[in-house]
Amino acid sequence: MAAALPAGAPPADSTGRPGHDTWPSALVRWLFIAVSLAFLAALLIAPVATVFAMALAHGFEAYLTSFADPDTLAAIRLTLITAAVVVPVNTVFGLAAAWAIAKFEFRGKSVLITLIDLPLAISPVISGMVFVLLFGLHGWFGVWLQRHDISIIFALPGIMLATMFVTFPYVARELIPLMQQLGNDEEEAAITLGAGGWMTFFRVTLPRIRWGLLYGVILSNARAMGEFGAVSVVSGHIRGLTNTMPLHIEILYNEYNFVGAFAVASLLTLLAGLTLVVKNLVERTGYRGR
Amino acid sequence: MSFRKPSVLPGFGLTLGFTTFFLSAIVLLPLAALVLAAGSMHWSEFVAVVSSARALGSYRLSFGASALAASINVVFGFILAWTLVRYEFPGRKLIDALIDLPFALPTAVSGIALTTVFAQHGWIGRYLEPLGVRIAYTWLGVTLALTLISMPFAVRALQPALLEVQRDLEDAAETLGATRFYTFRRVILPTVLPALLTGFTLAFARAVGEYGSVIFIAGNLPMKTEITPLLIVIHLEQFDYRGAAALGVVMLLMSFAVLLTINLLQAWGRRRHVRAAH
Amino acid sequence: MSITLEQITKRYGGVPVVNDVSLHIGDGEFFVLLGPSGSGKSTLLRAIAGLTAVDHGRIALHGRDVTRVAARKRGVGLVFQNYALFRHMTVADNIEFALRVRHMRARRRRERRQELLRLVSLVGLDDRLPAQLSGGQQQRVAVARALAHEPEVLLLDEPFGALDAKIREELRRTIREVQRELGITTVLVTHDQEEAFAMADRIGIMNLGRLLESGAPHELYSRPATRFVATFLGAANLFLARSSAGSIQLGAATVAAGEPPSDAREHEVVAVVRPEEVAVAATRAALGPAFVGAGVVDEMVFSGALERLRVRLENGAAAPLLATADGAAATCLEVTRTQHEQRAFALRAGQSVAIGVRRVHVLPTPLSSFAACAASAPEAETLARQPLLAELAARMKTRIAVRCEPQLGAAGERTAADAPFVGATVIASEAGAAQRAAWLLERGASEVLVLPAQAAEPQRVLIHWLDEAARAATLAVSASVLRHVPAEAVYVGILPEETRAAPRRHGLRWLLEARSEAQAVHGLEMRTELRFGEVAQELARRLAEAPGEMLIVGVSDLERFAERFGALLDGGRWPVLIVHRAARGTVGASP
Repeated sequence: MAAALPAGAPPADSTGRPGHDTWPSALVRWLFIAVSLAFLAALLIAPVATVFAMALAHGFEAYLTSFADPDTLAAIRLTLITAAVVVPVNTVFGLAAAWAIAKFEFRGKSVLITLIDLPLAISPVISGMVFVLLFGLHGWFGVWLQRHDISIIFALPGIMLATMFVTFPYVARELIPLMQQLGNDEEEAAITLGAGGWMTFFRVTLPRIRWGLLYGVILSNARAMGEFGAVSVVSGHIRGLTNTMPLHIEILYNEYNFVGAFAVASLLTLLAGLTLVVKNLVERTGYRGR
Repeated sequence: MSFRKPSVLPGFGLTLGFTTFFLSAIVLLPLAALVLAAGSMHWSEFVAVVSSARALGSYRLSFGASALAASINVVFGFILAWTLVRYEFPGRKLIDALIDLPFALPTAVSGIALTTVFAQHGWIGRYLEPLGVRIAYTWLGVTLALTLISMPFAVRALQPALLEVQRDLEDAAETLGATRFYTFRRVILPTVLPALLTGFTLAFARAVGEYGSVIFIAGNLPMKTEITPLLIVIHLEQFDYRGAAALGVVMLLMSFAVLLTINLLQAWGRRRHVRAAH
Repeated sequence: MSITLEQITKRYGGVPVVNDVSLHIGDGEFFVLLGPSGSGKSTLLRAIAGLTAVDHGRIALHGRDVTRVAARKRGVGLVFQNYALFRHMTVADNIEFALRVRHMRARRRRERRQELLRLVSLVGLDDRLPAQLSGGQQQRVAVARALAHEPEVLLLDEPFGALDAKIREELRRTIREVQRELGITTVLVTHDQEEAFAMADRIGIMNLGRLLESGAPHELYSRPATRFVATFLGAANLFLARSSAGSIQLGAATVAAGEPPSDAREHEVVAVVRPEEVAVAATRAALGPAFVGAGVVDEMVFSGALERLRVRLENGAAAPLLATADGAAATCLEVTRTQHEQRAFALRAGQSVAIGVRRVHVLPTPLSSFAACAASAPEAETLARQPLLAELAARMKTRIAVRCEPQLGAAGERTAADAPFVGATVIASEAGAAQRAAWLLERGASEVLVLPAQAAEPQRVLIHWLDEAARAATLAVSASVLRHVPAEAVYVGILPEETRAAPRRHGLRWLLEARSEAQAVHGLEMRTELRFGEVAQELARRLAEAPGEMLIVGVSDLERFAERFGALLDGGRWPVLIVHRAARGTVGASP
């Protein structure tokens, strides 16, 4: 639920009142602000600053050099390939689910919404494990797969499936409330004017939801690239082959290669920062308030 | 009553069919595999796995630390949400945007960064060390990591509720003679109570399942700093799929219980806000 | 308990939303603050409650200054439009809230609660939650809650806004009964004039942050002082008429004035004719001296007890008609007729009739209309479209005539102008404006507005008069302007430089007298400033100090006018309204 709420709502009108500009309320005010800032500084700002401080601990050159490691490059490549497959699939799913749920009234709708949200409530470890149980050596299809020499677990398909499982609600849950709020009037008008279904979607619906869609895609992408628990279970941690960026961070960190670990971490942190920037830009376009 | 209300819009069959198929293939089928794998165990075997001393120790840590983290987030989340909703100060918008950072930041990154900051020689850890407080590699560290990753859930649940507390309610209380503190205690707090509980539950749900950030900062000592998801991973690494599935089912049941609680809480909150028709 | 407000001003972002409001509400009085939304009435109510701090002024409850006292110590009860009940508390807990705060014993609380529930007729609903009550019941609970701690003032902020008509009626009656029974001083805010009439002992009408008029409902209805009140309170037909000793000339017809005119000279005035004061007859003879013209029935609407007509005036009789309250085109008169009148003379649409007026009320406003004046017609028309002028005319519900004076500003013999200058004459602020203003003033224009093309709505109106003879007129014109712009009024007193050292006292007294006259005669609150130096220079300096200033200056002596005011008028960036009244005893310039 967290990311679906708009940030940056303005504070309520705080006009002074008689008898209110006394020291206790001023004290409470400053105490609250100070506590808030201290809490965020310790929990958020210090760790993020550490990422960059550690990555640059041996200078900018060492930082750049750390990316020359073939294993690191392989991890980045694998992450990009995974995201390139998972994100479009999730986008198509999200659009289809949002269209079905937001545009129509049917029985079992709330059950469907709950099921779509399910992966958010499940531990990522379990999300990975279910695929091991299906496709792993001792899993349901394990023997069959081995006989046909198809590897899913400890290989790229497993990583993609686990990532898909974990990230697939994001586009849908960004779009459903938006499309519900926008209503059906314009689409119905287009259909009664003779437009076909696809034309209505591309010419009427899509332009109105594009900002919400963009944020859903960006968020889905950030979660896909950063997923650790689920991927960790299915990847097998084969260096240079099945290590995504977060898994590679773990290996480098455990080898005390801090510059390398934090260098990769800094890329993912920048991605997270970019996601937040997009979120705020999207909210500033005011697509929710219309 | 038919399955759906009629509509002139096309694409219902296509989109609903695709949604249901994809959902079944990616989510429901694999989850069914989990339940079946656990179900294939003998009952006594199942009980032995899920109630072993090591498992019980991991529940204690996972659920205890998650509850503690969620409580911390309710308190600080309330302060943060209040500050963001009620006060204007330089950097407010930036802070508001930063709240979502733990949500977008990969858990592995949060994990190594928090560990570094709170380690013995870290930026903050070095000041806690002389006080005898050790955070990294203890249950405190686990709590800290869980607090970080579940923080946005608590704040974002509270913010709209606080925005919605009508200024009129406070005005009414004030004209009736209540002090600011009395108004806070008797009017504001009860009004946002459903949101507070929802925030707690959401934060708790997110924290219980967390894996990535915790394994770096926890020492991962069995019985002491080993969380349940880690125990599942250990079972998997030993190819004890059924043991892993059994623990997975326990956690899954927990997730469902939490989901149910959230739905009930939200229904409660809505009911209190329903106004009689004019 | 009485409520006294003195010069209350509240600004949001520099714009006054409550502008210099002074008011006294007597003990036990039911006072209704009436105005359109955004007029500042709710803000004023919140200021009385102590929920909003005021930027200027003083609030006293029964003589006790509470301006800086917190709301919870003021002893007022406040009822909100959306009830603002505590939704997690039962009806009983809501009502007892103020008593718990005051640590009243449980038994005493229960007794008081029962008493209040009886008062608002909700006995037996103690244990309900607000969500289980209807809107009307919730508002009754809110009233009971606001009365629990026996406040001495009850404030109601649009309490019926969210209720439907029938419930509204009932609740109105309940509140009026409760108020009478308790004898509690009550202030109700509403935008509904019918509600105001039904409930008020006295009504105060607000617009643009100012309290325009206050008085008993029938007083305000029959003798409004301002165009806004005349049209906001009931329907009104506004005419431009000419007033001369004892009679009012409406177009071609002359009718007797309802009240003796305040100004003996012949001048243009705004006359109000209520729809029920219009007489309709078959022939002119049937109307006698009340006849004003012929017309055709345009539209007839049956509305129960009354019949509403729209009658189009014909043959130039419509010329003096100004827009009606609903902004309809100014060719039709609104008329209402009783069943009795309908039976006496049945009408159908399209029928020609003779029209008369039974009673005319002349507004004491000195600004009747505007005339945009320039040397050529296109210039004059451009000037007439100036946004500030257009806005002002729309708010004053008056018209802007276009007048071409080819000789405007040219030197030469004074000749009697072919048509007299009526209303305020508007000229553009550019080089030579002072010369043109002098030319107009000498030819009988009594108000000249010098308007820059870019002038925006003023935030502050500076007022000054050079001679005592012009004082009364300047104040009247200022009051009229200030009713139509949300600006602050500042009287600028200017004394010669050489008096800076000594006769301060004289200057101060002058200022205070000006202020109290403005207050007493026009209900206009103004701030005062004292400056030293040469008048025109000081005024120019003062105008340049801040953007958004406007000047109203009164003169009676036109000697060397253009020379003295050149600096102020020739291409100034601010609007200047010159009010000219010749000193008594000297020969006027008018023809």
